[in-house]
Amino acid sequence: MRRLTVFSAALALAAVTAGCADTSEGGGATTPGDPADCFSQRPIELVVGYDAGGSTDVGARMMATALESKLDATINVVNRPGAGGQVGLTALANAQPDGQTMGTVNFPSAIVSVLDESRQAAYDRNSFAPIGLQVIDPSAVAVRPDSPIRTPTDLVEAALAAPGRLQATTTGPASNEHFVLLELERVTGATISPVHFSEGGAPATTAFLGGNVDLLLANVSDLTPMAANGEVRVIGVFGDERSPFLPDVPTFAEEGHDVEVASSRGYAFPAGTPQECVTAMSEAMGEVMSDQEFIRKMQDLGLAPSHKDAEAYAQYWTESTEVFETLLPLVRAER
Amino acid sequence: MDTFSDLLAGFAAALTPQNLVLALIGCVIGTLLGLLPGIGSTAGIAILIPLTFTLDTASAIIMLAAIFYGTAYGGTITSVLLNIPGEGESAITCIDGYEMTKKGRAGVALTIAGVGSFIGGTIATIGLVLAAEPLADLGLRIGPPEFFSLVIVGIALLVGLIGESVVTGLISASVGMLIAMVGIDPIAGLPRFTFGSAHLFDGVSFVPVLVGVFGLGELLANAGGTARRPSAPTLRELLPTRTDLRRAAPAIGRGTGIGFLIGLVPGVTNAISSLLAYSSERKISRYRSELGSGAVEGVAAPETANNAHANAALVPLFTLGIPTSPAIAVLMGAFLMNGLTPGPRLFVEEPLLVWTVIASLFIGNAILLLLNVPLVGLWTRLLAIPYPVLSALILVFIIIGSYAINNSIIDVYLMLFFGVVGLVFRRLNVPLAPLVLTLILGPLIESALRQSLQISRGDFSIFLTRPISLTLLIVAAVIVVSSVLGSRLKPQGKADLPTDATV
Repeated sequence: MRRLTVFSAALALAAVTAGCADTSEGGGATTPGDPADCFSQRPIELVVGYDAGGSTDVGARMMATALESKLDATINVVNRPGAGGQVGLTALANAQPDGQTMGTVNFPSAIVSVLDESRQAAYDRNSFAPIGLQVIDPSAVAVRPDSPIRTPTDLVEAALAAPGRLQATTTGPASNEHFVLLELERVTGATISPVHFSEGGAPATTAFLGGNVDLLLANVSDLTPMAANGEVRVIGVFGDERSPFLPDVPTFAEEGHDVEVASSRGYAFPAGTPQECVTAMSEAMGEVMSDQEFIRKMQDLGLAPSHKDAEAYAQYWTESTEVFETLLPLVRAER
Repeated sequence: MDTFSDLLAGFAAALTPQNLVLALIGCVIGTLLGLLPGIGSTAGIAILIPLTFTLDTASAIIMLAAIFYGTAYGGTITSVLLNIPGEGESAITCIDGYEMTKKGRAGVALTIAGVGSFIGGTIATIGLVLAAEPLADLGLRIGPPEFFSLVIVGIALLVGLIGESVVTGLISASVGMLIAMVGIDPIAGLPRFTFGSAHLFDGVSFVPVLVGVFGLGELLANAGGTARRPSAPTLRELLPTRTDLRRAAPAIGRGTGIGFLIGLVPGVTNAISSLLAYSSERKISRYRSELGSGAVEGVAAPETANNAHANAALVPLFTLGIPTSPAIAVLMGAFLMNGLTPGPRLFVEEPLLVWTVIASLFIGNAILLLLNVPLVGLWTRLLAIPYPVLSALILVFIIIGSYAINNSIIDVYLMLFFGVVGLVFRRLNVPLAPLVLTLILGPLIESALRQSLQISRGDFSIFLTRPISLTLLIVAAVIVVSSVLGSRLKPQGKADLPTDATV
């Protein structure tokens, strides 16, 4: 089993190097609430419900390294991929609520898996104690550079003129992109047909660039590099304000089409975790998210930093659930 | 000649002692990771990215790229020696690779795989140098309808894999297709055959099925004392003979072509390339009757194709900024983390960096060859371990590997279940190759078909009105018709002979 040894050595080395590379500003001051009781006895397990190397994983590993130095604790990232995060969330919900296990929570999948009874989720909103939010990545829509559609209003008018003629990529039914189309139809009456690419963004992008589908729907972070290369023109963002990555692109809301859809990534403990542990972790996360160096590193990776503490995140969770409750029947109607 | 001088400058930068050492380390780490089923290049690169934070950009990317193709070779070693496919792309290599091992020709198989990988990888990289942009455009022409027709060609090649009995071949293919249907429906979003388990929502993952059917199935068959056990080759048997090389050469050529072209299509994995390359050999090789029973072509073609694919897959990354596979997506993350945006502008803004990385692809392929061919002797010594000990080690190894894929015990149960399936198939003389083919192609054909119909709003003529799609469908029809006619025309006496093509 020499290979295994080599592998774990490499892992350990990777962890050490990552630790060195991280520059923490806080000077290692102990956070209030005495986290020592919560986090120092055993390593904390951070359950990531997505594959190693994906953007959730990359963000979570950065966060884990930064939290380690803030809390003077050890955090082990464990990938439990599957079912769009549902496998990881199930593991998190069933973990001991002792502050030793936390996990990533991605919207909309964490909400949709609860609301959609066909997914038979073994958890609901009350299974989790929110810690904080790290990323909000709004959806946006792009066209090919030679397209006559230039603004959100152009798009809505084109879709109203020929209902269902325009086609847009999604990353699957009940994905963010699908919700964008349904919400756009609900708000403006404009119908755009989805083409579902459940395998993910790469085949969707290929079909779009190859001229098979008119519109490319994706997160801002995915579209930014392609817009910089001049391969696509992003015409509108489905956020409450313009994206710092695409400052010249208007939001749909500012042209009067009030559609906001975003994916977000945050963290939670299982419900029942002692309140002081949740508070301590939430405060440590707040310190990490106010570190300019950390923010800059996230932005380099295309992760849009957006922090909410435990309380604000819980409220955001409730509000987002209400939004998806109104949209999910529209998904069902299409089945 | 601009390209040439750019490339030379790239070589100059890539050949610094530091970069050479990093490429070497990357190849070694990649090979080691590839040995363990379940830890593929994606996880390998992801975990090791932090290691590269302290390096300069070019060095970091050189090392990560070396890991990327090192893993492909590591998977070959276990496939050939132990019948354990480390990844989907080396599953089909098990069939002839392990048969060669049983005949004491493991060394030849590994050497040919190394040489084929080198040639495939190098030619694909030359393609990247000469014509990256037009090649990327070619890749974009493969939309869902074209992709559907391409997979139909793959399914048509199934007829070559079926072996001595059409019935058992179709049973195997149907089982593969059935397993492929498990999971969330790609268009309606509803679960199918998941029995309420979220673990099955994404479908049954390939690796536990393949590891079970091949690795555990073989172990169980051996435990019954029926199968032939592998033996370690002597030193003289390590090197391919002139006949081996002469036979491997056309297979390597075809493997390069297939792997290179398919690698250009974003979103298609290596496994498809190696499957199609193997199936084509079964159909058109001069020695097709020997495939399945340890023919050198059966190793050369898929291994060459998967390396050509891995290198060609960098074309869409460099020219379009589209990550074509999960491993490349992670590699793209490494670019982004260093403040670089892969895409057409990168050639203009950072030419030296791009050419350094491309030069390092040539160097990495060469290192992989130099590293692995001399080590073949060492790897084959594994077989000198007494079989009872080796089989226990293999069992531990495949259980850990199955667990490691998703950190999930469910995958271990799946692997054990499919081990029993593998045993039953062996006992009943059902060939395994059709199962591998439909298992991997099944989900693709379904998505491509349904996406095409969404694009055409339900009109099936989309497959016939698009030239590339139509051409591919004609090719598929020719394959099927020629096979049916071919078997009709066979002399009666000969048709009854076992073709020795079962696995």
